[in-house]
Amino acid sequence: MSSVLVHAPHAHSGAGVGGVMATVMLALAPATAFGFWAFGWPAIYLWTVTVLACVLTEAVCLKWRGQHALPRLADGSAILTGWLLAVSLPPWAPAWLGVVGAVAAIALGKQVFGGLGQNPFNPAMVGRVLLLIAFPVEMTTWVAPHPLGSSGAPDLWAAAGITLGGNGYDAVTSASLLGGFKTELTRGVEGASAIAHAFAPLSNGLAGMRAGSLGETSAGLLLLGGLFLLWRGVIGWQAPVGMLLGVLVPAAILHTTHPDTTLPVSAHLFGGGLLLGAFFIVTDYVSSPGTPAGRLVFGLGCGLLTFVIRNFAGYPEGVAFAVMLMNAMTPLIDRAIRPRVYGRDRRGRSLPPLGGDKK
Amino acid sequence: MSALDAIRARLLWQAGSLAVVAAVATAALLGASHATQADIEAAAARDLAESLAQVLPTGFANNDLLKDVVTVPGADGKPLTVWRARKDGKIVGVIYRVSGTGYAGAIRLVMAVDPDGRVLGVRVVEHHETPGLGDKIERSRTDWIEGFNGHSLGDPGVDRWAVKKDGGIYDQFTGATITPRGVVKAVRSGLELFAHERGHLISDEG
Amino acid sequence: MDRARCANLVRDGLWDKNVVFSQLLAMCPTLAVTTSATNGLGMGLSTTAVLVLSNVLVSMIRKLVSPEVRIPIYVVLIATLVTLVDLSLNAWLHELYKVLGLFIALIVVNCAILGRAESFASQNTVAESAIDGLAMGLGFTASLVIIGGVRELVGGGTLFSGAHLLLGEPFRALEMTILPGYRGFLIAILPAGGFLVVGLLLAAKTQWERSRAERAARVDAVTA
Repeated sequence: MSSVLVHAPHAHSGAGVGGVMATVMLALAPATAFGFWAFGWPAIYLWTVTVLACVLTEAVCLKWRGQHALPRLADGSAILTGWLLAVSLPPWAPAWLGVVGAVAAIALGKQVFGGLGQNPFNPAMVGRVLLLIAFPVEMTTWVAPHPLGSSGAPDLWAAAGITLGGNGYDAVTSASLLGGFKTELTRGVEGASAIAHAFAPLSNGLAGMRAGSLGETSAGLLLLGGLFLLWRGVIGWQAPVGMLLGVLVPAAILHTTHPDTTLPVSAHLFGGGLLLGAFFIVTDYVSSPGTPAGRLVFGLGCGLLTFVIRNFAGYPEGVAFAVMLMNAMTPLIDRAIRPRVYGRDRRGRSLPPLGGDKK
Repeated sequence: MSALDAIRARLLWQAGSLAVVAAVATAALLGASHATQADIEAAAARDLAESLAQVLPTGFANNDLLKDVVTVPGADGKPLTVWRARKDGKIVGVIYRVSGTGYAGAIRLVMAVDPDGRVLGVRVVEHHETPGLGDKIERSRTDWIEGFNGHSLGDPGVDRWAVKKDGGIYDQFTGATITPRGVVKAVRSGLELFAHERGHLISDEG
Repeated sequence: MDRARCANLVRDGLWDKNVVFSQLLAMCPTLAVTTSATNGLGMGLSTTAVLVLSNVLVSMIRKLVSPEVRIPIYVVLIATLVTLVDLSLNAWLHELYKVLGLFIALIVVNCAILGRAESFASQNTVAESAIDGLAMGLGFTASLVIIGGVRELVGGGTLFSGAHLLLGEPFRALEMTILPGYRGFLIAILPAGGFLVVGLLLAAKTQWERSRAERAARVDAVTA
C-alpha cells in the first residue's frame, strides 16, 4: 500500500485487475493440480471449501458496506486469496479450518481496511497466521503424499470424512521436513541429521513427493509458474530474487559453519513454502512497495526474516510471519525509496533537457 | 489576580511545593515499608512452605521445612537450596528446584525425592509454554505430572526415561512433544543430582 | 452539587467518556490482563480504588499546586498511592494480593489515572472528583469484564473461571462453563486476540451509536 503521491504521466498497461488475477491463477494451477493428485480428494475438498468461503465472505462484507457485490467479486481477488490460503494449509486439514481462515483473511485482512487495494497485509497470510496461532495442532498435522488412484489413497467417501473432521487420521501423519528437523534437534543431533539426509532434493523437493502444505510441495511446477509470471510481466524479478537471496545466502553460510545443526540450502529452498512465497505471496501488488528498488528491499527482508525464524525461533516455518512483518514495513520502504518524478532524478533535481546542454 | 495566584507563580513556591510533596511521599513510603516488612516476609515464607508442601503426600512430614535447609552444588554450578522433610526427626524426603528447557524457554519445577531415590512429587512452578498445548504439564490442567510419582533412575530403565515418541514410557501431548520432553529430561537430571549428592543430602551431619 | 450534575458524571464515566471505549486510554493494562472476565474484574476494581483516592487527593491540593509543576506532583502522588496499596495488600490481605499483585504494579502505567487527575480533579471539587473517579473506574471495570468475558468465552468456553480466588468461596457459583467440550479458539486468549476483540467491540459500539443517532434524526424529521 503506497501512500506516496506519484506524479503524472501514468502509463496504462491495458491489463485490468481481473486479467492479472486470472494470469496468477493460471500460473498457480499446475502446482495446485499436483497437490490435488499427491494428496487426493481431501485436498480437493479443502481447496474448494476455502475458495468458496472466501468468495462468500467477500460478498457478505461488500453487502454490509453497501456496495454492489457482483462487479467486485468478478475481479477474482477473493478467489485468489482463497486459493493462496488453501495451498498454504495442511492438505488433509478439516474444512472448518479453511472456513475460519477464509473469514479471517477476507473480513479482518482485507475488508476491514476498505477492500481491495487498501489492505496493509497480505490477506491470505493474515488467515494463515491466525490459524497457525489459534490451532497449532491442526496446522502442523501433515501427511505423506497418497496419490490419487494409489492403494492407500482415501476414496471420495473416506475423504469427505477427513475433510469434515472428526475422522482421526493420526495413523498416517508424517512430519514435515522443517518441523521434523526442529523437533528432533531438541533431542540430539543424530535424529535431526538423519532427517536432513533422508531428504532427496530431486524427488522430494523438485518433484514434490513430500509432506507439506497443499500447494507448496512441487518446487518444479512453482518455479515454472513463477517464470511464466515473469515472462508475462505480471511480476517483477526484484521481490522473488530478494526473498530467495535473503534465505539462501545466510542459510548457506550457516550450514558451512554448523553443518550438523542446520539444514542444507536445498532443504531451505525445496523443503518449505519458500518458492510459493517468493513467486506468489511477496509479489502481491497491494501489500508490497511501489518501486522496483523498494520491492528488492522488501523481498530481502522477507527472506532474511524467514531465515531467522526457521533457524532461531520456535516455529519451524516462517514465510507467513516474515511476509506480514515486512508488510508492516512497506509504508516505511515507500517513504525511503520514492518513485522518480518524471523529468527529474531520484533526488528531485530536474534532468538536463535532451541535447540541450550547449548554451 | 488573587494572593494565592501570586504565590503560585513564584519559583520558590513551585520548587518548595514539589520538594514537600516528594518528602511527604518518601516519608509515607518509608513508614509503610517499615510497617509491612515483617508481615510481607512472613507471607512470603508461608507461600514457600505451601509450594514445598505440594510435592509431598499429605501428612508425609511434620517438621518445619523452611528451617531444615542444606546447600549443594547444583547442575549449573550454582548453589542449590535443598529443603529436607522429616517425620518424627527422621529424613523422609528432600525437596529442591530443577529446571528444563521447553518449547518457549525455561520450565521451572520443584520436585521431592525420598531417601531411596524415588520421586515423591513434581510440580511446575513457572513456564512459558503455549496455552492449550504445552500447559498440560500444570497440575491444575491435567494429572500428567503425577506420572513421575514412584519412579526412580532404575525404574524405568535409563532409555525408558523419555516420552513415548522417543521410546520411553511418558505420554507426549498431541501437537506438543518438546514440552514434555523437556520436563522428563529435567526430572531425570534432578534424580541424577540426587544420586550424586545422596550421601550428603540424607545424612544428619550436613 | 445537584443531582443532574451527579448523574451526568456517572453517565460520562460509564458510557459517554468510557476510559476504554471512548477515550481509548489505558490500552496497555486493558490488553495485558483481559484474558478472563475475572482478571478484568480484579484489575478494574483495583484501578477504581486508586482512581478514587488519587482524584480526591489531587482535588484537595488543587488550589496550592502551581500549573508549572502539577504533572510531576501528580505522578509522585499516584506512584506513592499505588505503592502504598501494593505494600498493604501484600502484608495484610495476602490471599487477595496473590491474585491482584500482578495488576497493582500495572496501575502505575495506567494513563487514565493521570488523565483524570489532570483533566478533572485539578479543576473540580473534592466531592465531584470522588464521584468522577468512581464512575470512570466502574466504567473501566465494566469494559474490562466485557472484553475479558468475550476473550475467555471464545478462547476457552468458560466465564469467570477462578472467580473464587478473587472474590472468595461464595462466588464459586459465578464460574460457568458455557460451552462444555469446546476446544477453544486459542487466539482470543493470546495478545493478538486482545487487539481483535477490543477492535470488534469498539466497532460494535460505534455502529450502535450511529444507528441510534440515525433513528433519532429520522424521528426528529418526522416530528418536525
